[in-house]
Amino acid sequence: MNGKAAALAASLLVASFVATGCWNRRELNTMSILLGAGIDKVGNQYRLSAQVVDPGEVAAAKGSSSARSPVTMYKATGSTLFEAFRKMTLTSPRKIYASHIRILVIGENLAREGISGALDLLSRDPEMRTDYDILIARNTTAENVLKIMTPLEKIPANKLFDSLTTSERAWAPTTTFTLNELIEQLVAKGQDPVLTGVIITGNPKVGEEYMNVNQIDPAVKLKLSTLAAFKGSRMVGWLTRDESKGYNLIMGNVRSTAVTLPCPNGGKLALEVLRTKSKIKGGAENGRPTARIQLKVEANVAEVACIVDLDDPRTIRSLERQAEEEKRELMVKAVKAAQKRYRADIFGFGEAIYRARPRYWQRISKDWKEHFPDMKVEYDIEVLIRRTGTTGKSFVGDIRGD
Amino acid sequence: MKTARLQPAVERFLGALGHSPDLIVRQLLWRGSLPIAVLYMEGMADSQTLLEAVLIPLSSGIGDKRIPDDSGDAELERLASEVLRAGDLALVDDFDVMLDRLLAGQAIVLAEGSSRGIRVNVAGMEERSVSEPLTQTVVRGPLEAFTENMQTNVALIRRRIRSPHLWIEAREIGKVTKTAVSILYLSNIAGASLVEEVRRRLDAIDIDGILESGYIEEFIQEKTFTPFPTVYNSERPDSVAAGLLEGRVAVLVNGTPFVLLVPGLFVHFFQSAEDYAQRSDISTLIRLLRYLSFLIALFAPSMYIAVTTFHQELLPTSLLINLASQREGVPFPAFIEALLMEITYEILREAGIRMPRTVGQAVSIVGTLVIGQAAVQAGIISAVMVIIVSITAISSYVMPAGSMSISVRMLRFAFMALAASFGLFGILLGLFGLSFHLCKLSSFGVPYMTPLAPFFAADQKDTLFRYPWPRMIARPSRMNSKNPVRQKSAGNGGKKH
Repeated sequence: MNGKAAALAASLLVASFVATGCWNRRELNTMSILLGAGIDKVGNQYRLSAQVVDPGEVAAAKGSSSARSPVTMYKATGSTLFEAFRKMTLTSPRKIYASHIRILVIGENLAREGISGALDLLSRDPEMRTDYDILIARNTTAENVLKIMTPLEKIPANKLFDSLTTSERAWAPTTTFTLNELIEQLVAKGQDPVLTGVIITGNPKVGEEYMNVNQIDPAVKLKLSTLAAFKGSRMVGWLTRDESKGYNLIMGNVRSTAVTLPCPNGGKLALEVLRTKSKIKGGAENGRPTARIQLKVEANVAEVACIVDLDDPRTIRSLERQAEEEKRELMVKAVKAAQKRYRADIFGFGEAIYRARPRYWQRISKDWKEHFPDMKVEYDIEVLIRRTGTTGKSFVGDIRGD
Repeated sequence: MKTARLQPAVERFLGALGHSPDLIVRQLLWRGSLPIAVLYMEGMADSQTLLEAVLIPLSSGIGDKRIPDDSGDAELERLASEVLRAGDLALVDDFDVMLDRLLAGQAIVLAEGSSRGIRVNVAGMEERSVSEPLTQTVVRGPLEAFTENMQTNVALIRRRIRSPHLWIEAREIGKVTKTAVSILYLSNIAGASLVEEVRRRLDAIDIDGILESGYIEEFIQEKTFTPFPTVYNSERPDSVAAGLLEGRVAVLVNGTPFVLLVPGLFVHFFQSAEDYAQRSDISTLIRLLRYLSFLIALFAPSMYIAVTTFHQELLPTSLLINLASQREGVPFPAFIEALLMEITYEILREAGIRMPRTVGQAVSIVGTLVIGQAAVQAGIISAVMVIIVSITAISSYVMPAGSMSISVRMLRFAFMALAASFGLFGILLGLFGLSFHLCKLSSFGVPYMTPLAPFFAADQKDTLFRYPWPRMIARPSRMNSKNPVRQKSAGNGGKKH
């Protein structure tokens, strides 16, 4: 009895040693930590650029830092991404360790040709997480983006990641998409994806030098740009800033942003958006698909550079109306761009209709591409101004002799 | 009737002890006529007591009338009952008993014409006085510790428990050393089966010498092979008294200040005397801290090895880069590095205990160089490893019972090896094995992990937590004590639990 139990326990224990998943032993100093990767298309081959950390340079514990770059880059070309990854060992002394990747930059060329082929490896490889952000290199290659030296944050990939997360919170046009979200959008029937773009300001050649970060105002910087619209896995074009804002408003991605309104008597006034809530409702009217966008915005008065009486509730209400009008314009622009210019359902109207009227969606899903550009979109916007800051009327109107 | 001569009897003692010079024979004439001899061991009998109890009374009868030759036996009885002034004396017939008592420090009085002798307890040797405990120190609580003398130790406990139910059973263990061993228990609290089991295990010991309670511990502990201590030891009378009140049984061994308490369960090794002397809230927090340190001492190096060599994805990116930069240029794998440092530390520790006090400074200076900045600067050890080893070392001293930290020290290396070969998976396997082992272990019939497994809800009041005294109504039920109620409470009228 007891012997039987012991034998069972022993065999289970032995089995557990061979029945493990994949694991591998490697020391910290035998691997290159990959933080940023870039994929471009050169001819019909993939060109992979890997931004890898030089740990000794980044963790500046040893007093004076040498003039070595905190990151280094390895490049490889191959007809598949996997091949390119493995080819990288020709130039890299250590195996590339991809679990900590923060950012993936896709060259605009590749994006316009279609990204689905490149994404499979990234989601299939067990070593890679699927929660890093993806950017499109606008008017340049992914390789160039990853080469720019950045101040404050020594690792360019980290800089991109951090400024993406910060500005997503405080500035409406940007939004982040991780690999997971991107794939989700790609496979959803009634939705096309968007991705944020990144541009290089200044001459990229200068940006590669360490000199670039020795200046207070670096000559070359990385800057987040507007959104790139996709149709399926193929990029079709860029949204303007207003359109990007409109897109994020519709998708409920805006957490906080700034809104500038003209005052009735000249001058300008800024609102700080605190909270937005949006909802897309799909439906059908006379056999044609419709969508209704409900948006609720809460805001504070942030800056008043004109003469306006904020103590009067009527003023506040008229400001709210103005702001509503501004939001509507942004959203209309975005919807128009999607419907007419790119014919890409980046908002997921199709999904919304499927969720609201599944049977109806079954009927129209085949020719959704025809229906989408002409579908009717209604807006339902409500802006509420909660507070006016620590002063009422601005002192701007009281300055003598102005 | 055959008259026993004095001289051959004295010669017999001298012969039995090989004419050892510390056997003192004082011959004198009782009332000027009857030759008698007083025998004692120098240094074991207290000379002042000997003088007052034996020598002065015996010499006071000088010059009296002559005693007949054949009345030696009667005179000896008279000496015992009228002359000698001692609390503990008796007439002894047997030579072996006399020899035994003589070696225990008593004086033996022999007389011409008698084959018997009187043993007079004048034992009193030089000994250490009661002082502060060197281990298990507390900030608040009694500052007395046991000494090497068992009588003193028994008195220290009795002074704390003035109850007729504090029963003591004496044993002599060791065929050569004849070491006095006592079993102490509260007859109205300790479970009868437990006491019987202790008796049985003590009586089964067959060894020539017992010099420390550790000898006894190894004989009476569980037969299961285990790195964990199943017998608790303490040099604090208050801890032992508290154990007796819980229904445990104490074993005192003459010649050592370390008293054994059985059963010794896992949770006992995390309880300090101070827990009960200070406020319950802080005691609870500190006790949780001890369990945390136990885990750190056991797992810190192995976790570090597992995470840095197998599961780098578990670390935040910036921490990973930081660790990676420290490991740049370190020539050893993390496991070897950790092993190197842990062994160095163990060497230092051992040297620290064993070295002569006078070279202490030299060892500590060299030690800080070996485990420290110099090793890091030389590039053979990473700075994190120094931190890991240090926190491990410090954590292992948080446990109030030294015997548990010894188990942790040993197991740590096993876990490091597991982590180096299988990562966190290996640690988990080891933890499974350890849990199985701990749950299977028992001490004197009580499962080792009681009251956690098997779980006793009522006993949780003094396990991870330490409830305020007014709320600890019941004694720990794990001891199967005869009298489970500690205090009558207004709330439950003194009912069981």
